[in-house]
Amino acid sequence: MMSAAFNPVPVSPLADGLSSAVFVSGEEAANLAIADISLQPRFGCKGPGAISWLTAQGVPVPTAPNSACVLPQGKGRVLRLGVTEFLVEGDAALVASLAAAQRPSGVYPVLRQDACLLLSGRKLNALLLQSCNVNFAALDLSTSPVVLTSMVGVGVTVLPEEKNDVPCYRVWCDGSYGLYLWQTLCTIAEELGGGTVGAESLAVLL
Amino acid sequence: MKIMTCPINGPRPVSEFFYWGALREMPNPDTASDDEWAAYVFNKSGAPGVKKEWWCHTASNTWFIAERDTEKDLVLRTYLYGEGE
Amino acid sequence: MMSRMHQKNGEWIDRSKAVSFSFEGKTYSGFAGDTISSAIYASGQRVMARSFKYHRPRSIMSLANHDANLIMQNGAGARFPYATPNVRADVTPLAEGMALTAVNTFGGLADDKASVLGKFARFLPVGFYYKAFHSKRLFPLWERMFRKLTGLGKVDFATPHIRTPKQYDFCDVLVIGAGASGLSAALAAADQGAEVVVVDENARAGGSMSYQPGTEDSILAKAVSHPRIRILTGTYAAGYYADHWVPLVDSEKMSKMRAKAVVFASGAFEQPAVFRNNDLPGIMLAGAAQRLIHRYGVKPMTRAVVLAANADGYRAAIDLAEQGVTVAALVDLRSSHQAGELEVAVKAKGIQVFSSACIYEAVPAADGQSVGSVRIAAFDDGVVGAVSKELECDGVVVSIGYAPAANLLYQAGTRMRFDKGLQQFVPEVLPYGVFACGRVNGVHTFASRLLDGQRAGAAAASHVGFGDGPNAVIPAEAESPSHVWPIVDHPDGKNFIDFDEDLQFKDFRNAVQEGFDNIELLKRYSTNGMGPSQGKHSNMNGLRILARLTGKEPQQVGTTTARPFYHPVPMSHLAGRGFSPERITPIHGRHEKLGAVWMSAGVWQRPEYYAQPGVERIDSIRGEAMAVRSGVGIIDVGTLGKLEVIGPDAAEFLERVYISKYAGLKVGMTRYAVMCDESGVVIDDGVVARLADDHFYFTTTTSGAATIYRELSRLNTMWKLDCGIVNHTGSFAAVNVAGPKARAVLATLTDVDLSGSAFPYLGLREGVVAGIPARLMRVGFVGEWGYEIHVPANFGGALWDALMDAGKSEGIRPFGVEAQRLLRLEKGHIIISQDTDGLTTPSEAGLDWAVKLDKLFFVGKRSLQIIAKKPLRQKLVGFMLDKDFTGAAPKECHLVIQNGKLAGRITSIAWSPSLQRHIGLVLVSPELSAVGTTLHIRLSGGDMVAAKVVPTPFYDPENLKQKEGA
Repeated sequence: MMSAAFNPVPVSPLADGLSSAVFVSGEEAANLAIADISLQPRFGCKGPGAISWLTAQGVPVPTAPNSACVLPQGKGRVLRLGVTEFLVEGDAALVASLAAAQRPSGVYPVLRQDACLLLSGRKLNALLLQSCNVNFAALDLSTSPVVLTSMVGVGVTVLPEEKNDVPCYRVWCDGSYGLYLWQTLCTIAEELGGGTVGAESLAVLL
Repeated sequence: MKIMTCPINGPRPVSEFFYWGALREMPNPDTASDDEWAAYVFNKSGAPGVKKEWWCHTASNTWFIAERDTEKDLVLRTYLYGEGE
Repeated sequence: MMSRMHQKNGEWIDRSKAVSFSFEGKTYSGFAGDTISSAIYASGQRVMARSFKYHRPRSIMSLANHDANLIMQNGAGARFPYATPNVRADVTPLAEGMALTAVNTFGGLADDKASVLGKFARFLPVGFYYKAFHSKRLFPLWERMFRKLTGLGKVDFATPHIRTPKQYDFCDVLVIGAGASGLSAALAAADQGAEVVVVDENARAGGSMSYQPGTEDSILAKAVSHPRIRILTGTYAAGYYADHWVPLVDSEKMSKMRAKAVVFASGAFEQPAVFRNNDLPGIMLAGAAQRLIHRYGVKPMTRAVVLAANADGYRAAIDLAEQGVTVAALVDLRSSHQAGELEVAVKAKGIQVFSSACIYEAVPAADGQSVGSVRIAAFDDGVVGAVSKELECDGVVVSIGYAPAANLLYQAGTRMRFDKGLQQFVPEVLPYGVFACGRVNGVHTFASRLLDGQRAGAAAASHVGFGDGPNAVIPAEAESPSHVWPIVDHPDGKNFIDFDEDLQFKDFRNAVQEGFDNIELLKRYSTNGMGPSQGKHSNMNGLRILARLTGKEPQQVGTTTARPFYHPVPMSHLAGRGFSPERITPIHGRHEKLGAVWMSAGVWQRPEYYAQPGVERIDSIRGEAMAVRSGVGIIDVGTLGKLEVIGPDAAEFLERVYISKYAGLKVGMTRYAVMCDESGVVIDDGVVARLADDHFYFTTTTSGAATIYRELSRLNTMWKLDCGIVNHTGSFAAVNVAGPKARAVLATLTDVDLSGSAFPYLGLREGVVAGIPARLMRVGFVGEWGYEIHVPANFGGALWDALMDAGKSEGIRPFGVEAQRLLRLEKGHIIISQDTDGLTTPSEAGLDWAVKLDKLFFVGKRSLQIIAKKPLRQKLVGFMLDKDFTGAAPKECHLVIQNGKLAGRITSIAWSPSLQRHIGLVLVSPELSAVGTTLHIRLSGGDMVAAKVVPTPFYDPENLKQKEGA
């Protein structure tokens, strides 16, 4: 039988672009660093039954629409997108078990093949001001807000966080827009004295 | 540019939205006369005043109703379909 | 004669940094911090420009960008790779290496040959453009002459496409103007807790506090150091848009500021007085003279006459005298005033004061290039007595009134009223969240301006939610700082109102006489206020004149509309950095390596065909198509919309949104799907596949996906059926492998039983292909045995690689959109919005069979029932050209002509390699739609081509190749 011979691996939507990228480090990375975290394990679902089903699976559900909460033991995050849509990201075992689990009616699976970027650095706000018309500086991060908006013309989901007084934001978009989003933000980042970094260098922020 | 307030995502610039058109009741397609049906499909009121309209926040695919005074260019209120009363 | 003075306290120039430049071919030196005008004037060169119509010598007037006297061209040179036209010398910082020339001269500034036009002035009255060029025969001659004579700067076509970093910005309170009232407002708002941004177009904050005596600027230091105040200098608010959206323009970029409240502290424009030769170099507004002295250390004149009608004029006279300018006299248009102490101080300096007096005319100096003396006469509200005195002077300083800088207030929808006591328009009703203070609000006394600013700032802060609002009472102005009629008529004219357009008093009289007697008509006929300064120095005087000439009050006359932008904004700032989103499939890189020639399909990029060295485009396309028919081809169809509907009501939902039936579709089967809108017009098509009783996976056209998903979401928001809709367009990659060898190739990659009985035509199977979980469908597509394979996007590249590898031995060939179109046309498949238009119904498109009117309800059903009762307008049918046809073939949109009338149009046409002749689809009147009918098609040049109506599909009419029968 043929299929046993194959072991395909998933590939990030940014792979082609990254293969020719020049990474930055040091001061430049501290200014503004953009990393590709598209291949993080992810599970998505939505529907009127989503909240009770996720709870029954032991997944903590953010209480407010458009907010997030962390999984225990630093295993990842749960985002509540709007009122009844959810994105679970981080822990491969949890994601796999949710994908395999039986879903009752009222829970609709959403296949997540996002492009996802991790943006961090002291010049991050300057980048955001050039790309998105949401006042991120005015958000109260203690409520873990999630923002669904448009960035450089592309629909995105943004989770703003701060680590050691340095802003670090996760930005998800449809994979087909990923290369465009990354290239556009990189152009601006380079003007601000930053650039692309490997995901490993931002591992502490994951 | 104008601000539109999505009931779920809050106030955003109007470029984040899609305007569908007036909220109107569909007459019974089986019992309406041809003229009534044609008026429903094609005729819309252009007079200035308070309108109830379908709007969509495209980034989150949130559909809602906006009440807008087109004479004064004011958005009076926005709410999810069915939660207007 | 050099005019640079000794160092001034707080001057804006840095005398340690010399800057060299040239003007009209001569080299000069200025300082860092100079503007172009101040540097040239400091060198002793006064004449810096020629006026627009009469080419009269011009110099500094407002020095504030409120007049367009001094527009220059900066030429290309060592420091500037390309020339910049229309540089505003008054406000543009001097830079090393500038090579400046005056615009609008004919042979250079000094020898401007067009200055002879001044002599012909009486043949060029207002509105002469409309009258002189009746003759069509002569107009080209006139046009050529005027193109040469007029126009300002010259565009340099070597100018690169500049992208500026446009950005957004946010604040609680935006204060426009960093003068006394603006800074006061900013402090009041920030003290209450608001985040404040102050913008000022000048290089430094402080407004008139930096040059007008009688003020002091201690609040500037407080504002600069306040943690919640950001001051942006060199930045102006270019317009006001809905919900406090204000573009802020600086030298590098535009910022789009969203404020929660806006305080307008924009001040007022000093106004010129109108008298004969009031445009001579040396005659300037008081603020210009004082800014020259205090900011740039430039002596504006040696011997001045001050023309005043307010206390500021008296203060200016004292200031000039203290700075070493001889002030020969102060001429006051008024008979009396309340600034008694100031008058005493003026006289104490030995300056003669003439009351109830005016300047009747300015007399040019011997060389005609600047003022030499002024003639004074008695003046009583426009009635002028005989000339009583002639005073020698090389400069006149004018301070007779102000017009509010209310442009953005108008744009915000403020209702203004004319205050007769103040002789100024002031805000009467301000829009929600908009506040005004200072001179623009009719408050002119310095101490009152500070209080008024405090009031407005507190009010703005309270509006945003900080503090309780103001409680100050602002004392009323004791007297008006603006004269009701600063205008002196003269039989020889040249008493200018609009300096940009060279409009004199009699031009207004003539316009009104000709019937252009309302403010809008007067503006357009006379062009008052239509020059680069857009009426900043001319609208108020024009309004006063129109009021008197028509016997109306200024309130009745009204003002014209102020439109964005406040000052001209460079195109590079407006364009900014453009964002043009692009979508690509996960297989994009593979196509690139295979030589794909890209085309846009909406925002997606798709391979149009794959280029081969030495092969023409059309041959590549035909080659790809033939490879599919004879062997196996592979195409990336990942751009298709892919939606899922899941839940107990999923089938019911599809029944309502598509015209066909899906409730009975078996699990594991697919069905073609057509969507209509409420009026019965075809808007989309695709394929519905049933994965389970309550789970459907359906495709839409590439361009329709986002719209369809959005609209289906709206429909279910209304219907509240028990199902959910998911948009997986970007989450799945999809390829189609088609051709007689397709099954053999796929069989090497999957365990799914591909036999015709196990996996019939139109079937759907879930399985694993090349180790990837996949959905496989057998659909019509290009009319060959084939499989559409959908996998999660991150495995798209791997799937493509596996198929290309597996198909190598069969010569698998990638094919692009053009080959796909050709193959599908051979099968007679329609393309929505190419073969249909905005009015095409299913019956017209040959889709009658898909309409199931016996369903309870579907979108468009009732409309289709109504339309079915009417005769058919048109029909989409197939046609072929003669097998031996040669020559230019018809193209899409070429018309079918019958008996001299339009009877249809071609929607698709191509030369079919499978049939070796031209085939196509055409929308025709029903009478011409029968098989066998000859159609007459008209080419663009008028030639006619005959075609015959034939049934479709053209190729394999029994569809044997794609089904079991092959």
